[in-house]
Amino acid sequence: MGLHVGVIARVFEAVGRSVLEPIEEVGRVSKVFAFGFANVFMRPLRIRETLKQMEFIGVQSLPIILLTSFFTGAVFTLQSHRAFAMFGAQAMVGGTVGVALTRELAPTLTGLLVAGRAGSAIAAEIGSMRVSEQIDALDAMAVDPINYLIKPRLLAAIIVTPMLTAIYDFVGMFGSWYIAMYVLNMSEPEYMKRTQEWIDWDDIWSGLLKALVFGAIIGTVACYKGYYTKGGAAGVGQATTSAVVVASVAILVSNFFIAWALP
Amino acid sequence: MEQLDPVTGEPVAIAYEDVHKAFGSHKVLCGLNLLIPAGKITAIIGRSGTGKSVTLKHVMGLLRPDKGRIYLGEEDLTAMSDKKLRHVRNRFGVVFQHAALFDSMNVYNNIAFPLFEHTRMRKPEIDAKVAKLLAQVGLSGTEQKIPSELSGGMRKRVGLARALVRDPEFILYDEPTTGLDPILAAAMDELMVETQASRPGITSVVISHDMHAVLHIADKVAFIVDGLLYAEGTAEFFRDHTDPLIHQFVTGSLDGPMKV
Repeated sequence: MGLHVGVIARVFEAVGRSVLEPIEEVGRVSKVFAFGFANVFMRPLRIRETLKQMEFIGVQSLPIILLTSFFTGAVFTLQSHRAFAMFGAQAMVGGTVGVALTRELAPTLTGLLVAGRAGSAIAAEIGSMRVSEQIDALDAMAVDPINYLIKPRLLAAIIVTPMLTAIYDFVGMFGSWYIAMYVLNMSEPEYMKRTQEWIDWDDIWSGLLKALVFGAIIGTVACYKGYYTKGGAAGVGQATTSAVVVASVAILVSNFFIAWALP
Repeated sequence: MEQLDPVTGEPVAIAYEDVHKAFGSHKVLCGLNLLIPAGKITAIIGRSGTGKSVTLKHVMGLLRPDKGRIYLGEEDLTAMSDKKLRHVRNRFGVVFQHAALFDSMNVYNNIAFPLFEHTRMRKPEIDAKVAKLLAQVGLSGTEQKIPSELSGGMRKRVGLARALVRDPEFILYDEPTTGLDPILAAAMDELMVETQASRPGITSVVISHDMHAVLHIADKVAFIVDGLLYAEGTAEFFRDHTDPLIHQFVTGSLDGPMKV
């Protein structure tokens, strides 16, 4: 009888734990975002640290953004041209590429690239500070780690991701134009006319709005994973991997819901 | 009426009253009662995992007890808000087990960091203070070095300089000699004694496994076993005690009631 009660108790414990743990995790993630964001206007403002993080997340991501955006526009133009040529609609290439880039490809790919490059670095840096007691040291010196570490990174990711997305839009379209003119020998007036007709300011704004959300996701997830790192070097490794995976999945899933909600 | 510590006869600076703390199902502190005398060096000893570091973190408010009270003088730390606790932490300096220096900063910025954060001191004053502290810990001229360029002993000494930079009332040492060779460990012990002597009224709490150091520097020793205070007394009391548990721990013997 006692054995049965023990087994049943363990089953309930396991079920309870599997329900509670994800809820607790969501709670902790929300706390990191809410406290980080609530700290934005709290002193000290950490302007210098925020600018440093913007330089790291933004300026240092520029080479990879420039390279990938050019080739994204280029390859999409090449492939669309082949498909549209089957029914004589090559002129639509510029507009199609433009809408796809501004609404979907630029914010999503920028988000994924920033998550991979900067999100991983943020999680690794904060995680190693956690395991080497540097965060405890901040606490011990009466310095709020949320204000000192999380706020600047979160704010920088939110500001910089839309900026990188705007650059992605521009360079992606340049890649498309370059291939259309010099490889596919399309008519420039026709390409430009269709592109201008098709791309609306709403397409650009909706892409930038998505990028803003993706920036918040990257900043929050990376800081959260780093801040709650447990264990030694292995824990930092896990936090880093997990930050990239969780942020990437969250970007792709939220992208669908934002696209659904926006006109 | 002011409470006096029974071992040293000094006024009590920190008092733990029936403090309990568990992490999940793992109970670490199980009703700890401990008095820390003002102006003296108190060493907390015990086996790994008996709650020494947890005891230290409670007094900083980095952990809150599940049950019980912790008093800093007359103030009840357990009843304080996070904001007030942060204010209380300004009265402490902490030397961490592995120094916990900020990797991204050089020695100067590591030491000056609390001053930049909490004071309006001017740069020349900060420069002078950092230089003075570095001289005290025997590391003059290392301002521009980064932590990865320092040895373990140097890092700990920079950690001590950082802990002292705001002239704290309390200094907490978390295993200050762990990982150091015997000579460096002796130098660190000497530095702790000098720090105590040169700053009258400072209250020091040392967590250590190093019995040689503890018996050399401590005015009071508290022995924690399974989250409870097992014994307290002067260094002589512990050195000569015949209690099997104390004797085994002090001599580091494998034979005795404590099993590996």
